[in-house]
Amino acid sequence: MLHRISIAATALATALLMTAPGARAHDDSKYPDWSGQWRRVEGGPPRYDHSKPYGRGQQPPLTEEYRLIHEASLADQASGGQGLYRTSARCIPMGMPWQMYALFPIEFVFTANTTFVLSEIMTSQPRRIYTDGRAWPEDQDPLFTGYSIGRWIDHDGDGKYDVLEIETRNMRVPRIYDQSGIPFHEDGEAIIKERIYLDKADPNILHNEMTTIDHALTRPWTVTRNYRREKKTIWTENNCVEGNDNIAVGKEDYLLSPDGFLMPVKKGQKPPDLRYFDQAQK
Amino acid sequence: MAFRCSIGSLTVVAAVAMSIAAAQAHDESKYPDWSGQWRRPAGINNQWDPTKPWGKEGAPLTAEYQAIYEANLKDQLEGGQGTDPTYTCIPDGMPRAMNVIYPMEIIILPKTTYIMIEYFSMLRRIYTDGREFPVDDGTLASFIGYSIGKWVDTDGDGRYDELLVETRFMKNPRSFDASGIPLHADAETIVKERFYQDKDKPDVLHDEVTTIDHALTRPWTVVKNYNRERNPRWFELVCAENNEYIKIGDDTYMRSPDGRLKPQKKGQKPPDLSLFNTTNDAAKK
Repeated sequence: MLHRISIAATALATALLMTAPGARAHDDSKYPDWSGQWRRVEGGPPRYDHSKPYGRGQQPPLTEEYRLIHEASLADQASGGQGLYRTSARCIPMGMPWQMYALFPIEFVFTANTTFVLSEIMTSQPRRIYTDGRAWPEDQDPLFTGYSIGRWIDHDGDGKYDVLEIETRNMRVPRIYDQSGIPFHEDGEAIIKERIYLDKADPNILHNEMTTIDHALTRPWTVTRNYRREKKTIWTENNCVEGNDNIAVGKEDYLLSPDGFLMPVKKGQKPPDLRYFDQAQK
Repeated sequence: MAFRCSIGSLTVVAAVAMSIAAAQAHDESKYPDWSGQWRRPAGINNQWDPTKPWGKEGAPLTAEYQAIYEANLKDQLEGGQGTDPTYTCIPDGMPRAMNVIYPMEIIILPKTTYIMIEYFSMLRRIYTDGREFPVDDGTLASFIGYSIGKWVDTDGDGRYDELLVETRFMKNPRSFDASGIPLHADAETIVKERFYQDKDKPDVLHDEVTTIDHALTRPWTVVKNYNRERNPRWFELVCAENNEYIKIGDDTYMRSPDGRLKPQKKGQKPPDLSLFNTTNDAAKK
């Protein structure tokens, strides 16, 4: 893929210049203050590009093949189904880049060798962004979070880092961008590049320029996420499973009624096959 | 509860003595090296007390909760889940999370020590900034609880070597382990922990865990041990991905390999599908 310009070599050089990573102590004064809890700035329905409407309005630069897959997902959702959001409705992670949408709050934790991004929603696993100058591993199993290598940059030369550049690879498929089901290519070769930095005028706003490179796209797709720092931090536990009324059996989706009965999601949907139950019990 | 001696006041004293946490730069040389990936030792199953066999751990349960536990074991023998609530993929919560079924990582920062457990993506924030336990306004309860910690330099060498932790505000349902050893329905559990590295083996971490709960006749202490992998490979364990159990109303069923619903117990009735008939009939009209 032409777009794939690794940052590993640069990262390695940087690490060598900055002394061996294993020997580094964590010098807080070199890092920006991204402490606290960050939430998405923009309201409204969750969507990948907040500057555009949900669904087709996102105008993802999909190839014709993947545009039709997205259309099928939207059509299924219009009839009551989950479309490609089906796996997420079952509490399977949406992974990257969706988890940086910060629908639920996130936290950044810096250590000398790794920057962690921790999410309140437990279906988003912690992101480990390795800033120790390592190269891409050759035998890592794909993860929903992918494998991330980062590089801190002192953009204005004041002796303090202000930008974190990240490249993420090796993400699991199937994966989608948002709840409408904008799909990634099934080859699992997507690359996501991020550039995270504090707003110059407002230190309580963080920006994340995210560019996705994927064979389902006709060109790299760039969006900018904005996060606002919460003044009062309260962490809750969001585990997805509790209160989830989506029930999947085989290839069918059902709903759980408020009083605990299985119910259809679509008009005319057949009930599940009960052949494994004792016929006399039915 | 008589056992409830808060470590909050000690924490405040310690925080003041060590200078205000907010003003501290992170002096790594004061903290132990607990980096890397920590795993339960090979051969240790998911029983709460690793020194005893699964299901025969001699939990000091009250008579009422011993009876609940026995009924749970019988239900599990018949194919049910008993009092182990995690088959629906809700998190283990505390103290069970410290079984560390899948690996954990510990990040030590001045104000917070983070424990990230790969299983269920459980994340513990252990606040070491000198705060007191907050007053619960009804929103604090979580499976993992609210943890306050205190670093201790036991040998006076200028470097912390123990982390004392107290955890409250855990919510139910929880059990100590997969055998279903129950915790009290009142959810007033307190868990006290003492983390420390083995003196002879720096790649072994111990967690002495004492659980105080109204289902117990006395505080129950076990010691969990973890081995360090210094060059870890992390993976993702997604419970919901291959979960064969389905809870519908008050009953639990299973997914068959061919994608159909099946009973988990012999003679189990199928789920009530009356809403399908109603909905479909309505659709026809």
